[in-house]
Amino acid sequence: MEKNKIISIEHLTKRFPVGKGEFTALKDINLEFRKGEFAGLVGPSGSGKTTMLNIIGSLDSPSEGKAMVLGRSIADLSHQEAAALRNRHIGFIFQEYHLLPVYTVYENVEFSLLLQGMEASKRKKAVMEALEWVDLTDKVDSKPAKLSGGESQRVAIARAMVKRPEILLADEPSANLDAKNAHNILQLMKKLNQELETTFIFSTHDEKVMQYLDRIISLEDGKVVKDEKMKVEF
Amino acid sequence: MLTFKLALKNLLGAGMRTWLNVAVLSLAYIVIIFYNGLIDGWNQQARHDSILWEYGQGQLWHQSYDPYDPFTLQEAHGTLPQSADSKALIPILITQGSIYPQGRMQSVQLKGIPPHQQLLALPTHSLDNTTHVMPALIGKRMANTTKLRKGDQVLIRWRDKNGTFDAREIVITEIFDSDVSSIDNGQVWLPLQGLQEMTGLQEQATLWVAGGGYQPTSLEHWKFQSQDALLANLDAVIQSKKASGFIIYTLLLGIALLAIFDTQVLSIFRRQKEIGTYMALGMTRLQVVGLFTLEGGANSLLATVVGSLYGVPLLLYLANTGFAMPAASDNYGLTIAERIYPVYSVGLILGTIALVVIAATLVSFLPSRKIAKMNPTLALKGKVQ
Repeated sequence: MEKNKIISIEHLTKRFPVGKGEFTALKDINLEFRKGEFAGLVGPSGSGKTTMLNIIGSLDSPSEGKAMVLGRSIADLSHQEAAALRNRHIGFIFQEYHLLPVYTVYENVEFSLLLQGMEASKRKKAVMEALEWVDLTDKVDSKPAKLSGGESQRVAIARAMVKRPEILLADEPSANLDAKNAHNILQLMKKLNQELETTFIFSTHDEKVMQYLDRIISLEDGKVVKDEKMKVEF
Repeated sequence: MLTFKLALKNLLGAGMRTWLNVAVLSLAYIVIIFYNGLIDGWNQQARHDSILWEYGQGQLWHQSYDPYDPFTLQEAHGTLPQSADSKALIPILITQGSIYPQGRMQSVQLKGIPPHQQLLALPTHSLDNTTHVMPALIGKRMANTTKLRKGDQVLIRWRDKNGTFDAREIVITEIFDSDVSSIDNGQVWLPLQGLQEMTGLQEQATLWVAGGGYQPTSLEHWKFQSQDALLANLDAVIQSKKASGFIIYTLLLGIALLAIFDTQVLSIFRRQKEIGTYMALGMTRLQVVGLFTLEGGANSLLATVVGSLYGVPLLLYLANTGFAMPAASDNYGLTIAERIYPVYSVGLILGTIALVVIAATLVSFLPSRKIAKMNPTLALKGKVQ
C-alpha cells in the first residue's frame, strides 16, 4: 500500500434493484484518500454520496469494482470482519445523530469501547477526553432527548472519535443544525482532524461545510465530475 | 455479559411497555406456582390421609373382592392360610346391609374391624363397648346424611351367610372426622367379632390391612394390593387436575408471551434506525439478534423479581393459612381436606422459572431473527424491510 493511502476505490459500480429493474447509484468510480484528508463528496440528492460513504464504511459492498479500506477489500469481508472494521477503525456521524435513546451521553460515547472490550479505567479516561473535546463534560448523565441539536451532534462526534478511528464518515452532519451550530461542529471536526490526523470524509451539499473542506469531490448521477484540492495536500 | 447489560438497560428504558409485560408475566408465574403447589399440597395430604385412614402399607384382598361391585361381597370373604403373617395385618369384613334412620331406608356397607387395632386412624376403641347394644362408628358425612348423632340408636338389617335377613339395633358410639370420604359415605363400622357373629362368618374377613412389618407373599385365594396400586386412582385424579390446570395457566402464559412477541415485533419495526446504529458502531448482526432476544427474555427475569416481591408473601400466606375448598367438595368421593395447604417444592419453583424464561426467550428470538437479514444502510434510514 502506498504510504498514507488508506482508501482506494477502483472502477466501483453499485446497483440497487428497483422493482424488476436496477438503479445504478455509482458508475465506475476511481478515487483515493490519504491519511488526514478533510474531504467531501458533494452533489445533489441521488448523486451517490451516501452510497459511497456506506461502501467505504463497510455497511454496503460494491456490485462491481474494488473498494480497499485500510488494506482490506470491502467486498471480501464477512459480516463479522466488517463489524470489527467499523468498530475499531471507522467512525460514523449521521444527519439525524442516531444517538441511542435510552443511554446517557456518557454511555452513548462509551458504547464502541464496550464492544471493543476495553478495560474500565481506560474506557472512562477515553470517554471523558472525548467529551472534553466536544465540551460536554457537564452533560454526561443527560439522555439524548434532553439535548439540543448542536449538543446531540457533538455527542455523535465524541462517540465517533472516542475510539480514535483512522477514518470518520460524516453524512450530512450539518443538515439539521442552524448556521452557528454548524460552524461550531465543523470547527471542532477540523481541529480533531488536525490534532489526531483522522481522515474525514463528508457527504454534503451544504455550502457551510464546503468552506472547511480541503478536497471537494463532486458527484453527479453516480459519477465523479470534479475532484478539487482546496489546499496543499497533507 | 455486555449484551445482557445492554438488553436490561434497553428494557428498563422502554418504561411502561416493559412493566406491562412484566406484570402479566409475573402473574403467570404466581398462578402456575400457586396452582401446582395447591395440587401438590392436595396430593400430599390425600396420600397421607388415605394411608393413615384406609390403606395402611397395602391391603390383602380376597380374590373375589371388587370394591366397585357390591355383589362380589356375598362371596368375597375367607380365612387366611396358616402361612400368612397375620400379626402385621388387621382384618376387615364387609357385607351389604340397610340402615333405617328416622324410618327411611338407606343402603350401607357394614364393615367389621377389630376395636383394638392401632394401624388405622379410625377411632375403633369406641367399638369396645360392654353394653348389650351393638356399638357402631360412622363418619361425619354419613352422620350428616342420616341425621344421626352420637348416642342415637338405629335399626340395621343384613343378610347372613345363608342369605337370610336379620335385623338389630345399633348405637352410634362415635362420629369420626376424616378427609377420606371412601371410609365414610354409606358405611357403618362395627366390631369385627360382632359382624362375624351376625353374618355367621366366624374368623373370616374380606380384606386385611397391612402394617409396616408385613412382607407380601403369595397366598392362595388372596391377592396383595400395594400402596401404589391402591393410590393409583387418587394419582389419576391428581394428574387430571394438573392437566386441567395446565390448560388454564397455558392460556395465561400464552397471553403474556403474546404480549412479549407483539412488543418484539413492534420494537424491531420501530427501532430500525437503532438497529442500523448498532451495526454502524460495530455490532455484528448476530450480536444485535442476541441483544433483542435477550431484551425479550429479560422480561421473564424482571417478572421473576417483580413476581417474587408480591408473590412470595402471598404464596407463603396461603401455604400457612391453607386454601379453603368448597363446602361440597368432600362429597365427590375424593380424598380432600376442608383446607388444602399448598406445597411449593424447589423443583416446582425452578421448573416454572425455567419454563417462563425459556418460553419468553423463544418468543423473543422468533421475531428477532429478522434482524439477521436486515440491510444496515436501509435500517439506518428506518426503511421497513
